[in-house]
Amino acid sequence: MSSIQTNTDLISSARQEGDAIVIAIRGEIDLHNSPELRGSLLDMLNKYKPKKLVMNLSQVPYMDSSAIAVLVESLQKLRKSGGKIFLTNLQPRVKGLLEIARLDAIFGIVPEEKDATAAK
Amino acid sequence: MSRSSPNTTTHPSPAAAAARSLAGGASGERIDLRFPSDPANLAPAREALEKLALAGGLGATAAGEIGLVVNEALANVMRHAYRGATDKPVELTAWWQGDDLVVKIRDWGSGVHPLEHRPHPEKHNPLKPGGLGLICLKKLMHEVEFAPQPDGMLLTMKRKRTPVTHP
Repeated sequence: MSSIQTNTDLISSARQEGDAIVIAIRGEIDLHNSPELRGSLLDMLNKYKPKKLVMNLSQVPYMDSSAIAVLVESLQKLRKSGGKIFLTNLQPRVKGLLEIARLDAIFGIVPEEKDATAAK
Repeated sequence: MSRSSPNTTTHPSPAAAAARSLAGGASGERIDLRFPSDPANLAPAREALEKLALAGGLGATAAGEIGLVVNEALANVMRHAYRGATDKPVELTAWWQGDDLVVKIRDWGSGVHPLEHRPHPEKHNPLKPGGLGLICLKKLMHEVEFAPQPDGMLLTMKRKRTPVTHP
């Protein structure tokens, strides 16, 4: 396990575990700051080329559709190399929006990080 | 809050100052705000609407949905009607009218009707970008009407105190 430095306060921690990257996102994400999150995530995916991206959203009380679009873009990038995204520790509003977007079955949604790192 | 002519006025103050005035502009009964089309204003705008929704008796989940809807409608104005310009005027008004929370958003942008050429929510491909904001509007509000104006668009939405049920 090794920690990864990021250039945004929106990612409060990031580490590599085998072929997975586990990150914690922090804050309300909307059109104002989603471009910043997008840049950091895509940089990370390009640099580390993980098979699995685990995003802990316990510190994310809110996302809008621009934030969801960032998640979808990251997923599509990972899928090209057979990778997956797992979302953990969802707060109710974020879960609700993923359901409206009908993305709750497309991302791997699990209760906690350990469930995601163990999942195939 | 003053209502000067949209043709002569864009909000000159920085987004942060506008955001502060937004947060202070929400009274318990009515919201009447004018601010620039800067995404920095999304958070205070949705918080003001959530406060108004709660004050009118909606529960926390429903109030959160109202906040999301206002966020999405304003973001559409910023991204599409104003094509990303951050200094154009937006008016947001909202009030309780009987059992309805009425929300109006006025812009002076492209005037393109956002609901034309959009797929039905059930046909929406979740992995295709775009369209989710409008789906939120239609799913979470009882009424959504875009009224083209000679110089922009007026969006009127209503949410009743009762949950939204669509056939």
